[in-house]
Amino acid sequence: MYKIFILALREFRTSVRTKSFVIGLVVTPVFMFGSLFVMEFFKNSGDISDKIICVIDHTGQIVSTISEAAEWHNQNEIFDTVKNKQIKPRYIIEVVMPDTANLLAQKTVLSDRVRNKQIHAFVEIGPDAIHPKADYEKTRVKYYSENSLMDDIRAWLNWPVNNKIRQLRVEALGLEDKNLQILFSQVEVAGMGLVTGEPQVNGKAEAKESTPVEAILIPYIFVLLMFMMVLMSAVPLLNSVMEEKTDRIAEVLLGTVTPFQFMMGKVLGGISISLTGSLIYVVGGTFIAAKLNYSHLIPYHLLPWFFVYMLLSVLMIGSIMASLGSACNDSKDAQSLQFPAMLPVILPIFFMMPVLKDPLSSLSVGLSLFPPFTPFIMLVRQASPVSIPLWQPIAGMAGVVLFTMLVVWAGGKIFRTFILVQGKKPSLGMLIKYVFTKS
Amino acid sequence: MYSIEIEQVTKTFNRFTAVNQLSLNVPKGSIYGFIGPNGSGKTTTIRMIMNIFYPDSGNIKILGKEHTGSTHENIGYLPEERGLYKKMKVGELLQFYGQLRKTNHINHKIDYWLKKLELGEWKDKKIEALSKGMSQKIQFISTIIHEPEIIILDEPFSGLDPVNADILKTAILELREKGATIIFSTHDMNMAERMCDYIFMIYKGTKVLDGTLADIQDKYGSDTISLQTANGAKALQGINGIEKINDFGQIQEIRIAENYDPQDILKAIINQSKVYKFEITRPSLNDIFIRIARPVNGELQQN
Repeated sequence: MYKIFILALREFRTSVRTKSFVIGLVVTPVFMFGSLFVMEFFKNSGDISDKIICVIDHTGQIVSTISEAAEWHNQNEIFDTVKNKQIKPRYIIEVVMPDTANLLAQKTVLSDRVRNKQIHAFVEIGPDAIHPKADYEKTRVKYYSENSLMDDIRAWLNWPVNNKIRQLRVEALGLEDKNLQILFSQVEVAGMGLVTGEPQVNGKAEAKESTPVEAILIPYIFVLLMFMMVLMSAVPLLNSVMEEKTDRIAEVLLGTVTPFQFMMGKVLGGISISLTGSLIYVVGGTFIAAKLNYSHLIPYHLLPWFFVYMLLSVLMIGSIMASLGSACNDSKDAQSLQFPAMLPVILPIFFMMPVLKDPLSSLSVGLSLFPPFTPFIMLVRQASPVSIPLWQPIAGMAGVVLFTMLVVWAGGKIFRTFILVQGKKPSLGMLIKYVFTKS
Repeated sequence: MYSIEIEQVTKTFNRFTAVNQLSLNVPKGSIYGFIGPNGSGKTTTIRMIMNIFYPDSGNIKILGKEHTGSTHENIGYLPEERGLYKKMKVGELLQFYGQLRKTNHINHKIDYWLKKLELGEWKDKKIEALSKGMSQKIQFISTIIHEPEIIILDEPFSGLDPVNADILKTAILELREKGATIIFSTHDMNMAERMCDYIFMIYKGTKVLDGTLADIQDKYGSDTISLQTANGAKALQGINGIEKINDFGQIQEIRIAENYDPQDILKAIINQSKVYKFEITRPSLNDIFIRIARPVNGELQQN
């Protein structure tokens, strides 16, 4: 154990002291969460040039409301009063009388105007939009632009168009609209957690309201943090062992340590690197959350599970990587073996959303009890707001421990066989064969 | 008392027998030279002593104890293929190997050996800044930093210039003086002759020589004559009983065929040329090595 510790200490020191470790700690989350920051940062930095929208209103009754809504938008929504600058484009509505005799030609002309950037888009309001009849096509409101699906204006139009249609329908019924406002007040079905029965500080015994932060973001952060740590500590072991082999350091070490001690020293070094990295993030994250008054969002009860799963995951993947590294002679060998070895880390990420959506489904339970996936998938389930039976994480953990022991044993055999073999191109089949060969 | 006892050890790789039924006893405090052509089984034997390879059959005792599945703290091993962590500093690296071998007073020993091998001022430099010879000396220090009872050096002198080879030789002898048993493999027959108490030669996996230099030379008899004539190698042409001629230019070395008398050969040479020197000697280790490893090919043959 002492020798494993000395090997691990060297591995830890050489990795943590490098600039790439420090840069990795900073840069990796930037890459992972960067798109969220970018979206937030650039949300008001889009195109602010005027948007001319032509409207062909076959009913003749709705376009005026759209014009009024555009006017209201231009006066109230496009300026950032604090920074005193325009942040959104002005909408300019241009009414186009429908050419019913030759509608297709009219729409072609308008499309050409869109293509030539003279206008931004055009809208066609079907003649039966207010009172739908059998012909579905005539009831539709269509928005034509170069990128209509992602276009904010299409979404913006929903409200004025529907509101006007509603008013017109109420009028047609001979009722007075202002008395009927209440009919159209939407009630949202709020997602709540479960009532614990314990009295709250403010005297109410109500459950907490579920938020996307708890349901999605917290599990997501946990899994990504673990993914990052495995990437940072276990995956580099493949190249590190390969370099020790090709630089002929391996045999020098084998004069002092057994192959198993050698491999475990490397893996323990990886574990210590992942612990350092994750502690920095967890402590830093907790500190920042406390400063921003978000402490209540941190599921402290999950932290022990997180650390145990992470350690087992690094032990499992690290052993695989170290043993594969012992079989490689150059970076080409390493590339061909690295991808299959990464699957236990990559596949759970693909399954994350279906598991989050229904953490109690048989797919979720099955995946979370499949040992290579357990650290990630079980953690996702435990981090979700749904309570899962306690036997499942315990059974999952037992499975992972057994599977990890198996992987360490097999990795040790591969390592012992290949660490001094030069120039033999490894294949997965050959490696598996050697696991079951008597040394 | 033996430091290493190897008994009937065989090791095969697939169908290739690398070491066959090898038995060898290395006395405590001796310098034992392992010689043999490339690929003859030296490194495999050493790796089995180091427990890096397990023998298929037979057993190996280190300091009287069989050891399987673990490393022995009392051995220092310098493999033939050796490398160092390039990014580490010399001092850190030696500290690492010292700690790995549970060395007492590491810093003192590091300073002592760095000074001894004339590397004192390189302690804080990175390994990548060292020359090949310096790296090799650092590797040597990392092997013996814990002052083990047995030191195994696979080709310790390869690639060293004469000055550094001499420094290393002095260090090895100092360790022997302190009581260490030293095994080293080498292709340098002169070094083996001068340094080793015992020589072991393995050829195609089988032991072919084992004993002191004198024993080995006795076994190969007094069939070698070193001579100098006015006509050089030409003076030896056509003389019956000369089995092999090694022509060094100024001096020729001949091996006499069985059942021939050196006196008859001398007479035959005198008939052909003036003879300045005629000395019956024992064969050199180099000669014995070549006789075993390359009995006929490439040699100047004479019937």
